[in-house]
Amino acid sequence: MTAAVVTKAPVVAAPAKRARNPYVQGLLTPRGITGLIVVGLVVLLGLAAPLLTSYAPTFQTSNALLQPSGEHPLGTDEIGRDLWSRVLFGIRTDLIVVVSAVPLGALAGCLLALVSVASRWADVLVQRLFDVVLAFPGLILGLTVTAVLGAGTSTVIVVIAVVEAPAFGRMLRGAILSHREREYALAARVGGAGPARLLVRHILPNAADPLVVQIAVSLSIAVIVEGAMSFIGIGVRPPEPSLGSIVSGSVMHLQDHPIYAIGPLVAISAFVLGLNLLAEALNKGVRR
Amino acid sequence: MTGYLLRRLPSALLVLVLASFAIFAILRLIPGDPATTLAGSDPSPDTIAAIRADLGLDRPFLAQYFSWIGDLLSGDPGRSYLIGGQITDLIGDRFGNTLALAIGALVLMLVLGPILGVLCATARGRVPRALLGAVNSVSLTVPVFVTGVLLVLLFAVTWRLLPPGGHQSIVADPVIGLQYLVLPALCLALPGSAVIARYIKDGVLQALGEDYVRTARSLGVSRRRILWRHALPNALPPVLTVLGMQVGALLGGAVVVEALFAWPGLGQLAEQGVARRDYPVVQALLLLLVGVYVLVQLLTDIAYALLDPRVRLG
Repeated sequence: MTAAVVTKAPVVAAPAKRARNPYVQGLLTPRGITGLIVVGLVVLLGLAAPLLTSYAPTFQTSNALLQPSGEHPLGTDEIGRDLWSRVLFGIRTDLIVVVSAVPLGALAGCLLALVSVASRWADVLVQRLFDVVLAFPGLILGLTVTAVLGAGTSTVIVVIAVVEAPAFGRMLRGAILSHREREYALAARVGGAGPARLLVRHILPNAADPLVVQIAVSLSIAVIVEGAMSFIGIGVRPPEPSLGSIVSGSVMHLQDHPIYAIGPLVAISAFVLGLNLLAEALNKGVRR
Repeated sequence: MTGYLLRRLPSALLVLVLASFAIFAILRLIPGDPATTLAGSDPSPDTIAAIRADLGLDRPFLAQYFSWIGDLLSGDPGRSYLIGGQITDLIGDRFGNTLALAIGALVLMLVLGPILGVLCATARGRVPRALLGAVNSVSLTVPVFVTGVLLVLLFAVTWRLLPPGGHQSIVADPVIGLQYLVLPALCLALPGSAVIARYIKDGVLQALGEDYVRTARSLGVSRRRILWRHALPNALPPVLTVLGMQVGALLGGAVVVEALFAWPGLGQLAEQGVARRDYPVVQALLLLLVGVYVLVQLLTDIAYALLDPRVRLG
């Protein structure tokens, strides 16, 4: 008797709870769960890097270009560094870059959106600013910023933030403008809410939905931009490992030592595909 | 149409002017003075001052900007500080190579995209559908330097069908030249093909549900003919916009692909210019790339307006 009551209770409670949170609903689909597992695995490998290898990523052994073995699961690179360790610490570098760059870009974009909905003149200025940033294809913008700041991890973070900001800015601006005209906003205004209260308490919580999806999309773009910049040699500085720079190192040895490229390629692909699955799942959840 | 052009042109020009100003201003923020670099080791202040005067670096910022724009408009972007030579020569040699790469990629996109799209729209059964979807997602999301390395591993290392990198002129020897072009162009074309495939798939599926298709079928027109002659052409117009948007990705991707395949194009020149901080080269190139991008966007909009009266009259 008691058992039946206990099992019944959550069945009744669950749908109401799930309906309230569209993100959870989106993530609990096959696509969302696959994305969570893949991204979770990659992130875990990066976080646990020091525990999973006994070699430092910059430590040079005396054996260059070794085949995979128990000692070196992915072999070694052209100057004898353990590739398993370099891939793990490369993931870590990527995580640091994208986790600091994307929120920075999102924050900048959202602040500019707030400025732009506040006044007509500011709106014209901010929109032209976004136009100019968007007129540069991502990597070309990367080259420009690197010309000024010099190559390095902090430059990559700045580039990603600048590339991502217009997407967040445009999205939030559009959402605020459309929500401002809805009836609930009118009702709040009639009820005596000032512009600041209306924005913060009523409009922003409703306008923020698409931003969550954009964060997942932006994270995957950030991984790609970091990889591309490090790949062409204007990103994370050697000998610090990053996934892009390891792939770049492997290119000279594709003929004689193809196994060199496999580790970083699998890591990047898994990371990017996983993030995209998450973005698609969240998008479905929000739209439902 | 004239009205549409009058509305659309000023905003394109404004973006170009703002971009040129941004490029010029940003590159002036570079720490270090090119005159000091050029003067060699241990120069006297007089030498540096002379070089600064020679390069025009001692003039006010706006004066430098306007003389740069003036020179550009008269067709003279100036000389490179460090790589050496006239910028027009440096760009001229490589422009053709990048153009060949871009055209190759566009052609492949226009062939692969529709084929993949139609296959996705008509696939029967769970397994083929899942496979095609996976192919599409992977080509769409995996970055070009990853697919590039995989293509080299397959076609150049494992099967030894194509060269792993380098460049031969297509004009001098089309057969050899094409062999060198295939892999870099394919690598550059994959993400765009996947985007086009998505649009074609949606367009074809929608068209197949329309009344005119049912009419055609009731008149006894074959399934294949309906697909290729009726449904596909109606799915094509959005592809135009996609192509316009892909040009940006193409220019950015070219930098990576040229580095991977040792292809002597504009991307490589930009990379060298940035690495050596040769800013006349960098600013000319950046403006050229942004100009091409803005021009293509404009042409896309115009083509769209020609195809769809709602756009030009709206």
